[in-house]
Amino acid sequence: MTVQLKALYLFLAIAALLILVFALAALSTTSSIPANASAASRLRKSFAILLGLVLLAALGLTLPNTPYPRQADVPEKVVFVVAKQFAFGLSETPITTEEQWEAVSSSAPLEIPAGALVEFRVTSFDVNHGFGVYTAGGRLLAQTQAMPGYVNRLRLRLDRPGKYPVLCLELCGMQHHEMRGAFVVR
Amino acid sequence: MDAAMDRIRRVTLVWMITALVLFPAMTLLGYLIRRFQASPTPAAHPEWFYSLLTLHALGMVGTWFVSSMAGVSYLLSRYVRPSPAVSLGAFFGTLAGVVLVCLATVGGFFGAGWYFLFPLPLYPNGAWPAWATALFFGALALLGTSWLVWALDVLRAISQRYSLSAALCLHYLGASTEPEVPPIVLITTVSLIVCISGLVSAVIVLVLFAAHWAGWLNVDALLMKNLTFLFGHTLVNISLYLGLGIVYEVLPGYAGRPWKTNRIVAMAWSSILFLVLFAYFHHLYMDFAQPGWVQTLGQIASYFLSLPAAAVTIFGVLNLIYGASMRWTPASTLFVLGVLGWAIGGVAAVIDATVAVNFVFHNTLWVPAHFHTYFLAGLVFFVLGFIDHLGRELSPGEEPKGLSKFTVALLVVGAYGFVATFYWSGASSVPRRFAAYPDEVMRGAAHARTSLVFIHVFLLGMILYLWMAGRRCVRALFS
Repeated sequence: MTVQLKALYLFLAIAALLILVFALAALSTTSSIPANASAASRLRKSFAILLGLVLLAALGLTLPNTPYPRQADVPEKVVFVVAKQFAFGLSETPITTEEQWEAVSSSAPLEIPAGALVEFRVTSFDVNHGFGVYTAGGRLLAQTQAMPGYVNRLRLRLDRPGKYPVLCLELCGMQHHEMRGAFVVR
Repeated sequence: MDAAMDRIRRVTLVWMITALVLFPAMTLLGYLIRRFQASPTPAAHPEWFYSLLTLHALGMVGTWFVSSMAGVSYLLSRYVRPSPAVSLGAFFGTLAGVVLVCLATVGGFFGAGWYFLFPLPLYPNGAWPAWATALFFGALALLGTSWLVWALDVLRAISQRYSLSAALCLHYLGASTEPEVPPIVLITTVSLIVCISGLVSAVIVLVLFAAHWAGWLNVDALLMKNLTFLFGHTLVNISLYLGLGIVYEVLPGYAGRPWKTNRIVAMAWSSILFLVLFAYFHHLYMDFAQPGWVQTLGQIASYFLSLPAAAVTIFGVLNLIYGASMRWTPASTLFVLGVLGWAIGGVAAVIDATVAVNFVFHNTLWVPAHFHTYFLAGLVFFVLGFIDHLGRELSPGEEPKGLSKFTVALLVVGAYGFVATFYWSGASSVPRRFAAYPDEVMRGAAHARTSLVFIHVFLLGMILYLWMAGRRCVRALFS
């Protein structure tokens, strides 16, 4: 199951629980029940402790899985990415000039080896863009921002061969929705 | 009623009637935005989409901030005296700001989004003229100044009766409960301190933009992003908190039970004052250049911000109404439904505030899904509830009960049906802020078409609500 679906199901389950609790509370107003401050206080304390523990557990489970590069991992291939209104340029060598960017952004999609740990070094020549890697079926696999003056290092290992579209995920101007790039995994 | 109180009442009615005009107008813009996205063909005029998106977002954020501020100011006048003249000044400043924003967006096609991420406003690529950028920044400066002065005046009014530590209820953290401080005073004080830090951050952003534009300074993009989201995140959050202040003050009257400040309430809101300033980091998770410890701090703050919300406010509302002899009116129903919407939207937001999840949710439609949930089904319900309460207080009279229930049902079905399409799109990787969808995510167009049905339902509910509560407010203003 994808991360997206897991998150959706978790959300729906908690939302349903909240709706149920609120509905029960609203229904309870049909019969008058005296307020019991000490019972409410005990219940609140237990609830707060339980919620605190759940949050700590969720932090413990998720924080080790951040997408940020780890020193211990050594990428097998480096791809240089420059975003500019309104295309992505991908190259095996650094892109430092507008002319280089023009050439790579209009050339055939770059090829990367299947199963290799690839580091995308993503930056921008103008405004903020979002480097969003999709499957051909339109599922978002990974992303990082392309920011002027900074290089964001996104590491990915893609096993399945095929063409991977890249969509811009940060509002960058009037053709934002048309800004794209691609690479091929072989 | 004394003359000062009458002035406060009239200014509040002016604010609320304005909100009731602006909100449907901004909802119609939202409808047009989704119409663009519903089309399976490429957008013929994307400049309209992006400029309307900018106007819709800023218009909605502004409308609900000023509405909740006006509602809180009115309710605070039971304890302290905010100046009606300053409130009226803020009203005219806001109106002028709205006109300028409309000119910049609809007239000049400024379309850099409501938080105008640096340096996009300066890179229009031929889409909007420099004057539109200047006008937009001028509008923001005017709005920011008006709201800053208004916030300072409300804090001044509070400080005339309560010291800062009393207003923050720090004495409740010890053993003392004297002086007794109503929750609305505590919530407003916390919210406005956060508000001022956000508005100061906005001022710095505008100054740095101007310095960069003039060529005096080469501004750092990551710094600007941090400042921008400190401003944007806090403005949205404090609007919600002010709305909750209204609920804390008004809902007990309908439940027939008190909801007083105690040690737990004081602890909760003190922690919010601290945590909310660090939670904005979750907007920058996908900026990998941001130091790792900052990202970790962002997730911790975002997670633990939900603890006081759930254990104090949400639990408090449930405890207040459980078994109470509730007087269910549109106002009390909308307050309780609003807290539910705030809670549901909050859950979706906390899920998205997990770095590992944000990796595949950031800037997809999951983001508007959660903020529309706690705005549309949360804060909007708080303010609509307050308007109904105010209208009945100042101009009594009853509509048929069935009509009131039908109106609330339309608002609920419209709001949740609408946000459901966003959630489904977000979980399906459909990006946000796309004027038209490429083939890979064309399913987003079908979701947008479904959302149009629910916008119609919501707007029908709003028309009925305007006929009931809006009419009452107008009657009260001219009585």
